[in-house]
Amino acid sequence: MPDGMSVAEARPGARARSLGALPRDGLLLVLLAIVPSMLGGFWIYGIGVCMANAVAVLSVSFLLRYGGEVSIGQSFFLALGAYCVAMMEREVGVSVVVSLPVAAVVGVVLGLAFAWPSRALSGIYLAVATMALALAVPELILLLGPVAGGYEGLYVSRAPLVGVSVDLQRYYLPLVALAAVVLLLAHFRRSRQGLALLTARDHPRAAEAFGFSRGYARLAAFAISAGIAAIGGALLAFAASTVSPNSYTLWTAIYLLVGSVVSLGSLGLFGALVGGAFITLVPQVLASWGDWVPILYGLALLVVVVLGDRPAEALTKLRKRLAGGRGG
Amino acid sequence: MAEAATLAAERISLAFGGHRVLSDVSLDFRAGQVTGLIGPNGAGKTSLFNCLTGLYRPQEGTIALGDMRLEGLAPARRAREGLARSFQHVALCPDLSVIENVMFGRARLGRSGWASAFLPLPRGRAEAADARATAERILARLGLAAFADDMPASLPPGTQRMVEIARAIVADPRVLLLDEPAAGLNAAETRHLTEALRALAGPDLVMVVVEHDMDLIMEVCDRIHVLNFGRLIASGTPAEIRADPEVVRVYLGDPDD
Ligand SMILES: Nc1ncnc2c1ncn2[C@@H]1O[C@H](COP(=O)(O)OP(=O)(O)OP(=O)(O)O)[C@@H](O)[C@H]1O
Ligand SMILES: [Mg+2]
Repeated sequence: MPDGMSVAEARPGARARSLGALPRDGLLLVLLAIVPSMLGGFWIYGIGVCMANAVAVLSVSFLLRYGGEVSIGQSFFLALGAYCVAMMEREVGVSVVVSLPVAAVVGVVLGLAFAWPSRALSGIYLAVATMALALAVPELILLLGPVAGGYEGLYVSRAPLVGVSVDLQRYYLPLVALAAVVLLLAHFRRSRQGLALLTARDHPRAAEAFGFSRGYARLAAFAISAGIAAIGGALLAFAASTVSPNSYTLWTAIYLLVGSVVSLGSLGLFGALVGGAFITLVPQVLASWGDWVPILYGLALLVVVVLGDRPAEALTKLRKRLAGGRGG
Repeated sequence: MAEAATLAAERISLAFGGHRVLSDVSLDFRAGQVTGLIGPNGAGKTSLFNCLTGLYRPQEGTIALGDMRLEGLAPARRAREGLARSFQHVALCPDLSVIENVMFGRARLGRSGWASAFLPLPRGRAEAADARATAERILARLGLAAFADDMPASLPPGTQRMVEIARAIVADPRVLLLDEPAAGLNAAETRHLTEALRALAGPDLVMVVVEHDMDLIMEVCDRIHVLNFGRLIASGTPAEIRADPEVVRVYLGDPDD
């Protein structure tokens, strides 16, 4: 047998990047960990909410990256996670550490339930289908009746640990969970399922020819994304200490999408925080901008159209360009 | 290991709308042989591959691998039966490094579940290490070891094709379908490919090569099928095909030209 072909003569560069982002993320984590000892309650609360929102943005970015699809319905799964926490506290008296895993599982199950009938849709058609999910959320919550607290919503007051400041727990739980989600996703990138989803996204036929059907890829991407969104919702309910129907409107879903685009679809800690900060701050600013709202709707839809058929590719290109062609 | 079996297509007809692409094609591909599938542009070679792997559903005909009927099975299911292929238009994932693209060729063999996808559990790690080692071995065998960590887009098209071949053979297929593996390769690379293909052939492997490079086909193949306008016009040894007047007329051309 020939011991090798020598196509290896000229070797153009551009190696795959290795653990590049780790030191920066480590530093970021340390900074976030010492924030409460340096800043006041307002900041602790705000950054806590921002980190919970970062997890929610990751759910959109995951679907973009691994499914190649745009969702304007992620607020549905966010609300699911949030209400799981609030209602389980009210009905069963358990704290977020118990209800968060339940929320994740319910998110995955409902993600599958949505992905199955919509598995033949893609691009703008799928985006519109997900939008229907988002539109239904407030009504669905009200339909649940008093257990869900109606228009006023519910408080989330039970903290996992006794004897530790609740405000600090509302900060550190989202921090730990965000770091965990980023790590889990980094591991997923190297898994055989990760390789399969990425190949299916770009070349569904190649993925099929190697044993992974389109249906598998779609269901997996959607279910994982929905699970992450539900975790984000659970964290958000705990960090913000309240849930109510008007926190989960179509707007929430649009902000999440725009937040993901602003973070360039990143699945890293820094990018997620940028997205989280965006969706924590921008709605506050816009609250005073009533007249502009319809224009922003239009802009958001434009984003969807501009991302086009291959949103993941579009964002990767953008990321590479911003990083000076070094990947990222 | 799976035993040797012939891949047989019987009376395959495929049409898109009113456009007939394959008409009543019956042929077989035998284990232990390298079979060439040649014909002019648009003859239906890639379409036949797509029928064999399940990407296209022919309106008529049957496909069998040994005793196993394939025509009703989804492409992913056929992959599990041991069919593997490369694509005429390179279909590597641009976000995966070369070795990751090759490892994907084995992904369906993995037994570790979703927990291993997210957590560094021992079983998943062992499996991943094994997949990487196998992929490295295959890359080395095709002379691609130096590119393992490169991204596909940074490689010349010919090398990308070789990576596709690596991805197709990394899971020990029973049937290997190669669609124009030599396109884009220079003379030296084609030489190496020819040797590599001969080395890949084995008693249990059904290997089919679609190629326009006649020197490669004549050297590598034990048997050749010729398609023209969706019909099988000849089958035989390289010598027989070279001497077949109709094949010469429609495809090989007059050597005096
Ligand atoms: N999905 C499709 N829809 C419509 N027509 C198709 C489709 N796939 C193939 N065809 C047609 O079938 C015919 C055969 O195409 P095919 O790609 O199989 O040829 P080929 O023998 O592989 O040619 P080449 O040597 O150029 O690769 C062509 O006329 C092509 O336009
Ligand atoms: Mg072809």
